[in-house]
Amino acid sequence: MNAAPVLVGYTAAVGFVAPPLLLRAAWPHRAPALAAAVWHALLVSFSIGVALAAYNLAAPTEHLHAGLVGLLHSCGLHVGPGGPDPDTADRLAVALPVALGTALAASLAFHVVRARRARTRHREAVDLVGRHSARLRATVLPYGVPAAYCLPGRRARIVISDAAIRELTPEQLAAVLAHERGHIAGRHHLALAVAEAFHSVFRRLPLARHAREQTALLLEMVADDRALRRHSSAALATAMYEMAAARTPRGAFAAGGHTVLIRLQRVLGPRPAPHPAFWGSVAAVAVAVPLLPLLVACPPVLG
Amino acid sequence: MRRLGDLEAEIMDRFWTWNRPATVREVVDDINRARTVAYTTVMTVTNILYNKGWLLRGKQGRAWLYSPVRSREAYAAALMEDGLGESRDRSAALVHFVENMSEDEVAALREALRSVGRQAKV
Repeated sequence: MNAAPVLVGYTAAVGFVAPPLLLRAAWPHRAPALAAAVWHALLVSFSIGVALAAYNLAAPTEHLHAGLVGLLHSCGLHVGPGGPDPDTADRLAVALPVALGTALAASLAFHVVRARRARTRHREAVDLVGRHSARLRATVLPYGVPAAYCLPGRRARIVISDAAIRELTPEQLAAVLAHERGHIAGRHHLALAVAEAFHSVFRRLPLARHAREQTALLLEMVADDRALRRHSSAALATAMYEMAAARTPRGAFAAGGHTVLIRLQRVLGPRPAPHPAFWGSVAAVAVAVPLLPLLVACPPVLG
Repeated sequence: MRRLGDLEAEIMDRFWTWNRPATVREVVDDINRARTVAYTTVMTVTNILYNKGWLLRGKQGRAWLYSPVRSREAYAAALMEDGLGESRDRSAALVHFVENMSEDEVAALREALRSVGRQAKV
């Protein structure tokens, strides 16, 4: 039996139905790292689903081809009489998944390289212009508005304006720096690059759009949680407010501010961690989801 | 061990602090008060900074006079705005602490802080 219809249905569900369900769920903000992993599992699952669906659609007659490697080899199943032109169908069947894989890999490489180049250029300039503070383990730039950001990567930098040092209390400053260190230690830029790369390939797909936005928000929450290990929620929340409020005039045009409100309410509110059993089941689903399309395409041979 | 970038920073630091055109000799003499550094090294690195577009130069008599293209503050502002995602190319390169917000959104933040009974300096 050809698995194409099932694969198409499954892939469509992952690409269109799963994102709104995950968006509406309450648990992701309580376990942001796990939720970010689930979004990435969906990205992987969707990619594999599309590749296998394309393969099965292009090779409806399901004959074994010597050129198919490893996984795909076992997915063709049943040696049967060929179609009208087995060679063309075969080549197409292999070419489509390969093209998709290449596009995704190229997109990821493009985003990683471009981001790294931008960071290197920025870091060299920051090192010249700024003053490194050994006490804060950050680079201080003369700038009239309290602000902070980080340059993740191998030679990471935390950049902070001198206004932030003047205007924030030591506790607030420490909480902000801990947040930024959380981004760097967690290598969050790589997870963002994956979501960005997927979005470049599947631009209009709901999964791509939501995964990119949610990854960014969830990673901010992960960094917030890291800061909260050592610092009070009051310090982090008021620092967030101070920095957001100070930047309003020049950034009034920009969108995305509502994410700060979500984070602030989360930081101030109760943050009960999900039950370990629930956490475990979600983690199991996150691991299983990328494997599902393979199970559909290559059912274990019975009997 | 000092890296090339450290010497670049030391040189730029002098030009920004003096806020006037200066020769390589002046820079070398000033650095030499703290540690010894060869004239040729400083000249090479100053040339690199000129080629990278950080310094301008003009000839006065037989000597080149160098001066910074922009003030330290101007560079810092441009870097900050880039780092805070206000420039067009919002790639995954940089992660900033808070997004840009509208006034309504800031008011909502203030409200959220107030509703839990914390004090925010406004």
